[in-house]
Amino acid sequence: MDLLDHLAARIRDLRINYNSGEGLSQESLAIHLKVSPNTISRWETGTYRPSVKDVERLSRFFGVSIISFFPSELVDAEEDEDLKALLRTARQLHPADLEELRKYAEFRRARGIYQGKTRPKPGRKGGKQK
Amino acid sequence: MNRQAYFEDLKLLARQVRAEHGLRSPRVLTSDLRRIYDQHGIVIDSWPYRLRHLRGAFISDHLGTTVMLASGLPQDPMVFTMAHELKHFFRDRDLGINFCDQSNLSKTVELGAEIFAAELIYPDQDFIKHMSRLRVGRDQCLPKTLVQLKLKTRTTLSYAGLAIKAERLGYAPPCSLTRIKTWRKFESIYGNLR
Repeated sequence: MDLLDHLAARIRDLRINYNSGEGLSQESLAIHLKVSPNTISRWETGTYRPSVKDVERLSRFFGVSIISFFPSELVDAEEDEDLKALLRTARQLHPADLEELRKYAEFRRARGIYQGKTRPKPGRKGGKQK
Repeated sequence: MNRQAYFEDLKLLARQVRAEHGLRSPRVLTSDLRRIYDQHGIVIDSWPYRLRHLRGAFISDHLGTTVMLASGLPQDPMVFTMAHELKHFFRDRDLGINFCDQSNLSKTVELGAEIFAAELIYPDQDFIKHMSRLRVGRDQCLPKTLVQLKLKTRTTLSYAGLAIKAERLGYAPPCSLTRIKTWRKFESIYGNLR
């Protein structure tokens, strides 16, 4: 399943299972996100790809991580460790700000996936030896 | 390099950045800083979600060099935060992440960013020149003086920033200006006096 299909299925799944399986109509979700119902439909059929900012809004609405919208094979597991390390340095922040910083770091990862950015492979450093 | 030399080096860097990017007055705008960010390939992410104390965060890694800015900040704090984060771009990229709130401002790296930002917006030498024009000597700077200075120069350095500068450069006794929290009140009182 490619990225677009995965996103489409994930959005539909979250919407249908919203509120412990009660579900939510496309129209209701559209109202919450201030988009048209057609947009939701097109996201769910994979006709349109939501922008990374739209995915962020969806993740907030459903209360899940933005990273959960992406296929696991595209998520660099090493970045989980990077993220934990980053946030350790920010422990003194107000808990709400720390949470926003975490979400921002995940937003960057999501954007990186969209843009096809990957971590550089470790290689020899320093070039030729003299 | 000791702490004082580090701070002086950052002020020199700020002046170099001003010269390089044609900033000639103490009125530095967000558009000026956006231009500088653009030239250095720094991506600005205006963060529309509620932040308590956090105003900005700088992250540089394989995903790029990005600055998160709390959206909706008024002009002066936004300019200062952007200038603050710019210092992290120039000097702290290897640290990975830097964030700016009230909890960590005493750290040398963050204090340095504050000093860099204040110098980038309003260099000490320009401030001294303007105080001289206003005929303000040692320990003579009053709230009224800073209101006049801010209105005359239209600087985007906040009153809090101006107060710190005035005290540090000896124009006012310690804590005489920096403890003031009601600058808008002074502006409404003295704003029409020229």
